[in-house]
Amino acid sequence: MPAVQVENLVKTYGDGTQAVKGISFKVDDGEFFGFLGPNGAGKSTTIKILTTLLRKTSGLANVAGHDIEHDAQKVRKLIGVQMQDTVVDEDLTGRENLMLQGHLQQMHGEELKGRVNELLKIVDLGDAADKRSAYYSGGMKKRLDLASTLVHRPKILFLDEPTTGLDPQSRAQVWSYLKGLNQEGITIFITTQYLEEVDRLCRRLAILDNGEIVAQGTPSELKSEIGADRITLGLENGNPGTGALKDKAKQVLGNLGGITEIVDSDEAIVIYAKNGGFLVPDIVRAFDGAGIKLASIGVSSPTLDDVFLKHTGRRIRPEEIDKSRASGMFGRRRR
Amino acid sequence: MTFVSDTYYMFVRWMKKLVRNPILLFFSLFQPIIFLLLFTQLFSKFGLLLGTNYTVFATAGIILQNSFSSAFQSGTAVVDDIKSGFLTKVLATPASRTSILLGRLLSDAFRVFSQTLIILLLAYGLGVFPVTGIIGYILILITVAFFGLAWSGISLALGLRTKSAETVFGIAGTLTFPLLFMSTALVQQGLMPLWMQNVSSYNPISFAVNAIRDLIMTGYVWGSFSEAYGVISLISILTLGATFYEFRKVVS
Repeated sequence: MPAVQVENLVKTYGDGTQAVKGISFKVDDGEFFGFLGPNGAGKSTTIKILTTLLRKTSGLANVAGHDIEHDAQKVRKLIGVQMQDTVVDEDLTGRENLMLQGHLQQMHGEELKGRVNELLKIVDLGDAADKRSAYYSGGMKKRLDLASTLVHRPKILFLDEPTTGLDPQSRAQVWSYLKGLNQEGITIFITTQYLEEVDRLCRRLAILDNGEIVAQGTPSELKSEIGADRITLGLENGNPGTGALKDKAKQVLGNLGGITEIVDSDEAIVIYAKNGGFLVPDIVRAFDGAGIKLASIGVSSPTLDDVFLKHTGRRIRPEEIDKSRASGMFGRRRR
Repeated sequence: MTFVSDTYYMFVRWMKKLVRNPILLFFSLFQPIIFLLLFTQLFSKFGLLLGTNYTVFATAGIILQNSFSSAFQSGTAVVDDIKSGFLTKVLATPASRTSILLGRLLSDAFRVFSQTLIILLLAYGLGVFPVTGIIGYILILITVAFFGLAWSGISLALGLRTKSAETVFGIAGTLTFPLLFMSTALVQQGLMPLWMQNVSSYNPISFAVNAIRDLIMTGYVWGSFSEAYGVISLISILTLGATFYEFRKVVS
């Protein structure tokens, strides 16, 4: 039984914006599934629908074997949800936050107390458990938030940008918790901008762009689809190689053999070619002949970044997320 | 019965939040206490006109003013929950939707209840002894709590609709004094200009004040008491209806 099954899911907001345009995908039980896409692609909207927080317009969605609309209560008992913003009640202690979540998940007595103690230890909040969470650091709050989604031992964990805004150390810690949880058998459904972690941890992923799924598969499948090395060219004067210079450079590249794709990135010209290393001298010569000065040239084997760029024409820049952070579901801002 | 337990846990959460922010309680009680201690002294000669001790007369009005202004904070607390994402987090659990609101409303009622008790004790120290005794105290507390509930409804509905604490605060601040002054809270109706008498006859605060004042000064006056409950019920139906309607829109 798949953990998540989505068919032709559509979400049109009241103002006519079509945020999700008929997507279909499946997440297997126990999978670590990455759900990627640029800002505004419809990731958060999809997560809100799957977690029963937002009504779909049409299509079918089953989570943990239950229809999200008809069996919303059953779904809510089987999932844990962590939203983009860290949500803890700062007037309550860490322990009280977890107890409240447990109570609302209909857990009681010794069972709940034991579970809360266990979780406090797992997320390293044992010492701070009875301090008001207002005094916690950002990383501690995030860990508490994560723990609060786990009190009722959910089968599926939905995480929307769980590591955004964290320092590198806390980020690594959260990823290692998630890895551990997945090894215990919890299905993880995650949106994130950190592609290296996705590559390392996600068994499969889907890329969403403009409300549609543009690619899905395992990281290695998607990378090998590119089937070529990446060559990044930086042009002198006008770093992104704006306007005429960029066009001229692309024209020159077009005359060279062996290039499978030229992608217009904001920062540089990116081309894909088989055995890219051998092509470098040709490129340098051709640019020399055309009078274009190269500021930099780099060759690398394809990464998920390339997969992302190829399918969406954009790069993921984690450092920009903070600025464009969407608020909760009621802010009507979405991404 | 998860409905009952969910309501209880939400109620407890709000109570903890209240107790842990004593500054909120302080500010909330500050104004009625100033009225009780200073305002009544300022107008003490006024009692000659009324033929009674002014502090005794004004206590009912001050109690109502307090319930009115503290109930109005309810909406801002819910706005905070919406903005912080806490409401979303609760909605992702199987908790009963109605309980989420009910827990808040009960905590509002309880808060008004306790604040009123504090004011009544202080008034007792100033020589305000309700003629109806202990039962009178109990009836006053219950009436004021119900009254508070009716007003939290307005505040919650506004908060849920506008999602802006500033708006709720702004509207509350604008309404408080006109509604208070154009009621029988601080002055007997017969001493007001005619137009104000007319307004105060329809002002819901007057109804509640009259009932409570009777309990303090006169005794059991069923006319004023039943009128007050009629008005409070009517307002509650309207405001809580609006609240549940707006809440439905927010959660679905």
